[in-house]
Amino acid sequence: MQLIVNGETKELAARTISDVINHFGLEGRPVVVEADGEIIAKEQWPDMEVRPLMKIELVHFVGGG
Amino acid sequence: MKKDVWHIGGHELNSRFFIGTGLFPSPYVQKEAIRESGAEVLTFAIRRINLASTEDDSILQHVEGEAFRFLPNTSGASTAEEAVRIARLARASGLSDWIKVEISANERTLLPDPLETLKATEILVKEGFTVLPYTSDDPILCKRLEEAGAAAVMPGAAPIGTGLGILNPYNIGLIVEEAKVPIIVDAGLGSAADVTQAMELGVSGVLMNTPVAKAKDPVVMARAMRLAIEAGRLSYLSGRISKKRYASASSGHEQFIVK
Repeated sequence: MQLIVNGETKELAARTISDVINHFGLEGRPVVVEADGEIIAKEQWPDMEVRPLMKIELVHFVGGG
Repeated sequence: MKKDVWHIGGHELNSRFFIGTGLFPSPYVQKEAIRESGAEVLTFAIRRINLASTEDDSILQHVEGEAFRFLPNTSGASTAEEAVRIARLARASGLSDWIKVEISANERTLLPDPLETLKATEILVKEGFTVLPYTSDDPILCKRLEEAGAAAVMPGAAPIGTGLGILNPYNIGLIVEEAKVPIIVDAGLGSAADVTQAMELGVSGVLMNTPVAKAKDPVVMARAMRLAIEAGRLSYLSGRISKKRYASASSGHEQFIVK
């Protein structure tokens, strides 16, 4: 399925947000997920289904002032 | 002297140093600098994860979380709407509901957009965030942000990363005089002298990143800044003498040997 992850179009074999997280090897890392502008709580990741061309943002804390 | 604590959003703070976590030469130096700074509040930015790299570039792996309060910023936002979105993402981390509103509309100066900053502050206060807006050093604007519910107001000394020091000490002093919430000088400080001046003007704290991280020796500079905060704070509390145009002798006028 084609998804837009962090601004890039990706072809991914993913059904849920959890699948997307696993695909990028982000399990256990402090990631915040937004799908089509809505924040998806971690508890919802396994149940939240992705759909074609869904805009997914995977963000985290980095150094800043 | 009794313990000189202060509060933001009901949270007690001992240190008056908020330190940023960008630009340090290495995680080790950053950790040591943070330790020397004595800071209890650390700032962060929110960014997309680099999907091309498998390396964990999250800042959190280098920070012992329980010891600190996190102040994520909304850097990268140029509108209130973008800042609100970043703030919500930051809060969804579950690490903090504090947010530094930072909205820059000009790439060269990075100066805050005052109207968008006020708008974002109003929205985020309503959503229950503890909001600390970074703003220009305008006394009326700072008051408006306080009235909008900001937990602290953070006027800049000078544009971010310039190290120019306090360009308008009169304004910073006036902002402090009028404020009912803590005032934190954020951005533009360069050295311990600037920090001492800020504290002598009566601000509650300072937020710094570049002047520590980009110093030749960030760890020693962190210590210098901590001591400068203490010196400036004590000087402010103890009441400096007024400035006079002419000399007044500090040795007594009575019983001169030579007359």
